[in-house]
Amino acid sequence: MSSTTESTAVTVDKRPNLISRLIPSVVSGIVLGVIGAAIVGLIVNKITTAYSPDTVPNDNAVAASAFIAWVFFFMIGIGAFNGVFEWGFSRHEPTPAEEMHMAGKGQGLWRYFRYTTDHKVVGVQYLATTLALFFVGSLGAFSIRLEQSRPGALFFNPSTYNTIVSAHGIIMIVATIIMITGPVGNFVVPIMIGARDMAFPRLNALSYWLLFVDVPVILSTFFLGGFQTGWFGYAPIADQQLTPGQTSYDFFIIIFAISTTIAAMNIMTTVLVMRTRGMTWGRLPVTVWGVLFSVALGLMAFPFFLMVQVMVVLDRVYQTSFFLAASGGSNFLYEHLFWFFGHPEVYVIVLPSLAVAAEIAVVFARKPVFGYRLIIASMLGISILSVIVWGHHLYTSGSQDPLNIPFMLDTELISIPTGIFFLALVGTFWRGKIWVTVPTLFVFAVLVNFVIGGITGVYLADLPTDELLHGGMFVTAHFHFTLVGAGVFGFFASFYYWFPKMVGKRLNPMLGQLHFWLFEIGFVGTFLFLFIAGLQGEPRWSANIAAPFVTANTVASLFAILIAVSVFVAIYNVVYTLARGEAAEANEWGGKTLEWTVPTPVPLENFEELPVVTSLPYSYGELVPATEGSGPVTEGGVEGVQPQIES
Amino acid sequence: MSDANIEGSTPGASPTPEEPRHLRRAIIAWIVVSVIGIVIWLLVTPYIAPATSSNLGSSQILTFNVLTVLAIPVAMFVFVFLAYSLINFRVKDRPTEDGPPLQPRPSLQIGWLGITGALCLFLFIWGSFFYYQETSAASNNTLAVNVTAQQWQWTFDYPQYGASSQGAQVIELPVNRPVQFYVTSKDVLHGFSILAFGVRVDANPGYVTTTSQFIPTQTGSYAVRCVEMCGLYHSYMWEAVKVVSATEFNAWIASQGGHL
Repeated sequence: MSSTTESTAVTVDKRPNLISRLIPSVVSGIVLGVIGAAIVGLIVNKITTAYSPDTVPNDNAVAASAFIAWVFFFMIGIGAFNGVFEWGFSRHEPTPAEEMHMAGKGQGLWRYFRYTTDHKVVGVQYLATTLALFFVGSLGAFSIRLEQSRPGALFFNPSTYNTIVSAHGIIMIVATIIMITGPVGNFVVPIMIGARDMAFPRLNALSYWLLFVDVPVILSTFFLGGFQTGWFGYAPIADQQLTPGQTSYDFFIIIFAISTTIAAMNIMTTVLVMRTRGMTWGRLPVTVWGVLFSVALGLMAFPFFLMVQVMVVLDRVYQTSFFLAASGGSNFLYEHLFWFFGHPEVYVIVLPSLAVAAEIAVVFARKPVFGYRLIIASMLGISILSVIVWGHHLYTSGSQDPLNIPFMLDTELISIPTGIFFLALVGTFWRGKIWVTVPTLFVFAVLVNFVIGGITGVYLADLPTDELLHGGMFVTAHFHFTLVGAGVFGFFASFYYWFPKMVGKRLNPMLGQLHFWLFEIGFVGTFLFLFIAGLQGEPRWSANIAAPFVTANTVASLFAILIAVSVFVAIYNVVYTLARGEAAEANEWGGKTLEWTVPTPVPLENFEELPVVTSLPYSYGELVPATEGSGPVTEGGVEGVQPQIES
Repeated sequence: MSDANIEGSTPGASPTPEEPRHLRRAIIAWIVVSVIGIVIWLLVTPYIAPATSSNLGSSQILTFNVLTVLAIPVAMFVFVFLAYSLINFRVKDRPTEDGPPLQPRPSLQIGWLGITGALCLFLFIWGSFFYYQETSAASNNTLAVNVTAQQWQWTFDYPQYGASSQGAQVIELPVNRPVQFYVTSKDVLHGFSILAFGVRVDANPGYVTTTSQFIPTQTGSYAVRCVEMCGLYHSYMWEAVKVVSATEFNAWIASQGGHL
């Protein structure tokens, strides 16, 4: 825990020369990591060629050991273990000056490239990584739309196409999992609860740098033969894949699961024990609840994904047969373990987005959130239900026919807490003073898209219609509406909302609006037409578009051009703002949560004096005591039909 | 969002005569838009709903349409209230004053929960009923067809006739006779799907799964597609199934080496 008592201005080295800047830093980490991976890979190659039978190819063993070595040697190079050696063996406790140095004091921008413990640095690192992953993943998306725009194999051979689809999927899934719990959870949440840093600052840095080393691992698949499995990596096709590109995928997941587990534990502990005086559970901002539920779900879900990938690696490297029916294994084992992670994961992505949408709706409607407890209860209900609905992904797998009806029941029950969320958000905007800014637009889009995503989920939850649509483009369009339409649009709401606080500059609102409209129109157009393709029976993962689906796909691809343009508008906006944007105010939007009470840029340790909280941060308008039976009764009970949302 | 159901609205003073009755207007707009939406849907549904040629498919399409008719008012509720808020409660610039601190009353919360719960229950009962109907169908002259998936083709066997598709690109089924598929895989996971019949089940290596029993009701040619990612040529794993008259079917069985 970083010092809360002193912040004396002692830097360890007053005039750092080049060597002491580079070691330790990301540069020395990469150098040592590459050297270590190469040496270990060569050694394992020698051993396995000498001692293993010829029938067993060794390139998976080489790739696996190289990935492990890359992670360890990178961490040594960046100095992740320095603290353990200096203080872990009880030579002495870290002094406040050493802690300040680790938090990046006096290191300027270079602190973003070091093993820096300051939660704000980690938050910005997560933000930059999220945006980079989004960019890489969207290149994959545009490649897919390009290939699917006309019938026939246009640009890619089947192997490349499948690798692009699979990599697009898993990169985007990882990016969406971290997109809010990373930047907002690390940068904003500690300030929101009145803490000076996270509970475990060094673990915080570790969770980020594990994510950082993970990116080259998945990108390596393009040079190692790719993988054909789709983002979910189903076995036995994952066992069967001969190239080590599949091993890249497995280690990508393993490392990511460790990173996320560390981050989740850290965020949970921070919220549990680091809240400032008066920050009771009933006064936590909605965002904090959303992030908390998300990481709690992730903490429960990710070990399953990690474990199942370890089993695939064992199958691939040590010739075990967890998933091979011919040797006593079962593909059902993979499917159930995977979806036991896979469905909560959807809410790991969406819950923080919904929470952020509520937070932002409050500020821009200038009204208290419509039913604070309702929203918390809604997110709690979604979290609990989300762990018992994985079976709806396997309705047609044949592994659980007697359980299909119970799974249908609890899947449809999720629409009740989700409906409450819509009540709360629509109610928050109702009769507010709505200030239409870029974040507000994104919040409206979250609601519109999530209604479409949720309602189309009902078709997939109900067994008779699922038999028509399962495994088709309808599913693809549905989960893009939830994960992109609600998830990513929620991320961009939070991005435009907190960017002035995180970076200290004001994004151009005109470019922001252009980004929004291009993105929303392009997105809705693209995926509405993919719904139609799905209704006509187009299977997912089609490299070759068959005749009946051509029109819908071509139109979808044309709409995707708008999304492509929007990406570059957003990039231009960010780059332009970083270079010459005007400085933002400390309280850019008139928010009442604690992060808007501290100066911009936020100083190290955040608060001069820890604040004392006395109420919910949503005290807009004057509070009139509740009165029963007031107002006209004629309009009571007309709340006819509610959003039935379901995923 | 009835004013009567919101705590904190000024007692007895809402809505004032000159202030428009926002809630009433929004609800009227919602009803109008929902009705228009349902009418438009019923007009376009023949063009975008999946074409179906079996008894099973017909009941699935019925479910599809029922869900849509329920879904339209639900979606429109959110769309209309958001659009109404955006149009009427928008302020030009940074707001100088706050909105009223409205909170939902217990009656609103309970009503909302009750209606969403009732819709949910209806969906569940409807879905269970039709699922039960599909899976419990039985008949004594069912045509059994064994389907074996492998990368990247389908093989069909007719054990009652000792016939096999032998790698033929087209297989045949008799019209108006119950059919059931027994599906398995030789290598990896595949997805066996014939959209026109509304049947779909995974082909798992080492297991045999069955589709629901169904009756093809129209002659014609339909596509068998793989709908689980199965590797390189997944998107080429198509075959055709022709529904023909009983006599044509018998002739085809004989040509495939079967005996009647």
